[in-house]
Amino acid sequence: MTISLRGLLASTALAASMALVTPAAFAQSITVAIGSEPSTLDPQLRDDGGERQVNDNIYETLMARTPEGELEPGLAAEVPTQVDETTWEFTLREGVTFHNGEPFNADAVVASVERIIDPENNSEQMAYFGTIAGAEKVDDLTVRILTTGPDPILPSRMYWMKMIPPDYAEEGDLASEPVGTGPYRFVDWQRGTSIELAVNEDYWGPEPDVEAVTFRFVGEPGTRLSGLMAGEFDVIINLLPEFTASVENFAAVEGLETSVFVLGADNELTSDVRVREALNLAIDRQAMADSLFQGYATIAAGHHVNPRAFGFNDDLESYPYDPERARELIEEAGAVGATLEVIGESGRWLKDREQIETVAGYWSEIGLETDVQIQEFSQYLDSLMGDGPRPDSIFIANSNELLDADREASYIYHMDGAASSNSDEEMAAMIDEARVTTDPEARQELYDAIFQRGHDMHYTVPLFNLQDIYGMSPRMEWQPRVDAKMLIKEMSVSE
Amino acid sequence: MGTFILRRAWQGFLVVLGVTLTVFVVTRVFGDPVSLMLPLSASAEQRAAFAEGLGLNQPLLVQFVQFAADLATFDFGESAWQRRPAINVVFERLPNSLLLIGAGLGLAVVLSVPMGVVAALRPGGIVDRLTVGLGLLGLSMPQFWVGLLLIVVFAVQLQVLPTSGMGTPAHLVLPSVTLALVPLARLTMLVRSSMIDELNQQYVKTARAKGMPLRRIIGVHALRNASIPFLTLVGWELILTLAGYTVVVETVFAWPGLGLTAIQALQRGDLFLVQAIVFTIAIMIVLINIALDVVFKLIDPRINLN
Repeated sequence: MTISLRGLLASTALAASMALVTPAAFAQSITVAIGSEPSTLDPQLRDDGGERQVNDNIYETLMARTPEGELEPGLAAEVPTQVDETTWEFTLREGVTFHNGEPFNADAVVASVERIIDPENNSEQMAYFGTIAGAEKVDDLTVRILTTGPDPILPSRMYWMKMIPPDYAEEGDLASEPVGTGPYRFVDWQRGTSIELAVNEDYWGPEPDVEAVTFRFVGEPGTRLSGLMAGEFDVIINLLPEFTASVENFAAVEGLETSVFVLGADNELTSDVRVREALNLAIDRQAMADSLFQGYATIAAGHHVNPRAFGFNDDLESYPYDPERARELIEEAGAVGATLEVIGESGRWLKDREQIETVAGYWSEIGLETDVQIQEFSQYLDSLMGDGPRPDSIFIANSNELLDADREASYIYHMDGAASSNSDEEMAAMIDEARVTTDPEARQELYDAIFQRGHDMHYTVPLFNLQDIYGMSPRMEWQPRVDAKMLIKEMSVSE
Repeated sequence: MGTFILRRAWQGFLVVLGVTLTVFVVTRVFGDPVSLMLPLSASAEQRAAFAEGLGLNQPLLVQFVQFAADLATFDFGESAWQRRPAINVVFERLPNSLLLIGAGLGLAVVLSVPMGVVAALRPGGIVDRLTVGLGLLGLSMPQFWVGLLLIVVFAVQLQVLPTSGMGTPAHLVLPSVTLALVPLARLTMLVRSSMIDELNQQYVKTARAKGMPLRRIIGVHALRNASIPFLTLVGWELILTLAGYTVVVETVFAWPGLGLTAIQALQRGDLFLVQAIVFTIAIMIVLINIALDVVFKLIDPRINLN
């Protein structure tokens, strides 16, 4: 057999070029700019956006959601069953391992549950898990989660609780080198600058398209936009609505937050339902959505519940803009010239100050005097949740991570809710009942009634379901999720 | 000299203590760190537990005594945001800031001397007017705006430099140029006016009449005389940069230094970290002042340090 020199050279060159080209063609790596650095990578400690954006890719949960928000099994093999009022049974997916080789099984679930509810751990996430009493192993792949009372939203809660490897949690360093079961494993954390993840070759699910991802921490929206335009970033979060015109590839999706004014239903001026109705009719929400959000905000449908949440009342419609009727109502109530307190803060939520001031402007046009107070955040929290007298109206962007209406109902409508401003016992009783009703249909009926009542009583002035806007490089393909999770495994790169 | 340094160190210690105690009072009396640090969804029990964990439920006096005792051992407590010792966060971010400040201020110092001298040689000439014009421009443009402008031109349009972050020497270029601009303008103006003054002095005229080359007059005599105000201004610029300019520049360029960390710590109400950062910056300012005094004495032994 003879080998020609030319043939040898050609094949060598081909091999060399293949070696150069192959990794580039298959190893897709992307850079994502997020707004803040995680405070820790321990997935069970903080309630922190930066931590979630990274750890949602490293860790997994028993329940997951589709991009549209439907609950589905994650590390659980199927939808959990309810054994009795306070016990839910989960069957686990077989053959799943953590990145360090520890098996994922009932022991891992028990350890995860017990660690997060341990008071010693002082987890900020307890706001989501306060009803959980503990967990019991039935066999290797079956586990029961116990609640302190009937808890219909336990499956939703388990969509939020990340599963940790028990041995590593004891001996390793979850805070700076996380180990999960997810599609990506931790590679490196350059403090202050970036975190790198690489695809988990042994992932139980479909192989992701993106092989490696670098999260960069860029707080300044203008710098994030510049990085995107310069081709350094493939995805940036929180693209400002006014920047969408400069970006060729972006996606907006209804997010978790709804902006709303809570009205003091026991206050002298706002105890009159006619005044509260007038406040709802006075606002041209469409004009606000167009001018403040360039159209990237959805008008709330007559209640401040996230439209994707269980319990949303489909029959309710947004309040019309009817300033004439609003003026009549103010006159009928004898409130012309009365001073309405408008409390809010600035800089916490997208366009918060602008929303507060615009709405106060509309309210001034129907015959009321407005006293707008933009407070420092801790003072504002005291106004919102403190023991003092309730303000006539206070602005809040309510978020609902568990996508269940219990959040909105118990937080703002329930008379004992942390941010509520009414003393409607009947409403409170309905909310209490809905909270422990485990039959989904009966529960939905209760919420329909609760939100109808909230709507008719005008306890709140719902404004917008805020949209999350992401900027993307031309090569990125991704449909953002309604739960604001940034799952790299759902992203793909076109080239 | 030794006594002098000791005395200045003692004065410096008092200054640092004063600054830190002021921060202690301000962070506790104004605003509620617990509300700032915890998410909106945190329950009353969580807030109480959190406050207790940080010792914030104690009377202010007790907190103060504890604080003073910790201070003596350089213990600044745990950053509530990062859940690790606050001083570790400072030590991690400080070198990044020093790198940026060194590059930026170094650039300003190195460029300002030739620019100022050349401008002073022909006051009112085209080079002089250009220098003064550029200097005024440098002083009047806000740094964040200059930073964004540089990003748009060099990173977005020309794509020759990265927009933000740190890692390679290229990452250092835009932030250090932005940081250099104001000190460069001020130092150039100072060198220019000092040199104009010096060059009009009788001794310069005499030396020139005797045939001494201009290069030697400037290099040996004039620059030496101008060096004390120059160094004073360099020290002042260093302090301003450390305590202020870096915050803006690091924020615009997402540079992981102490300035950016200070802003994040303030936003999150992380009072232990804020205290540690302020303490570190105060110490550095005191050290810079002592170092300047020593350098002055070395340049001009006639200076009375007392």
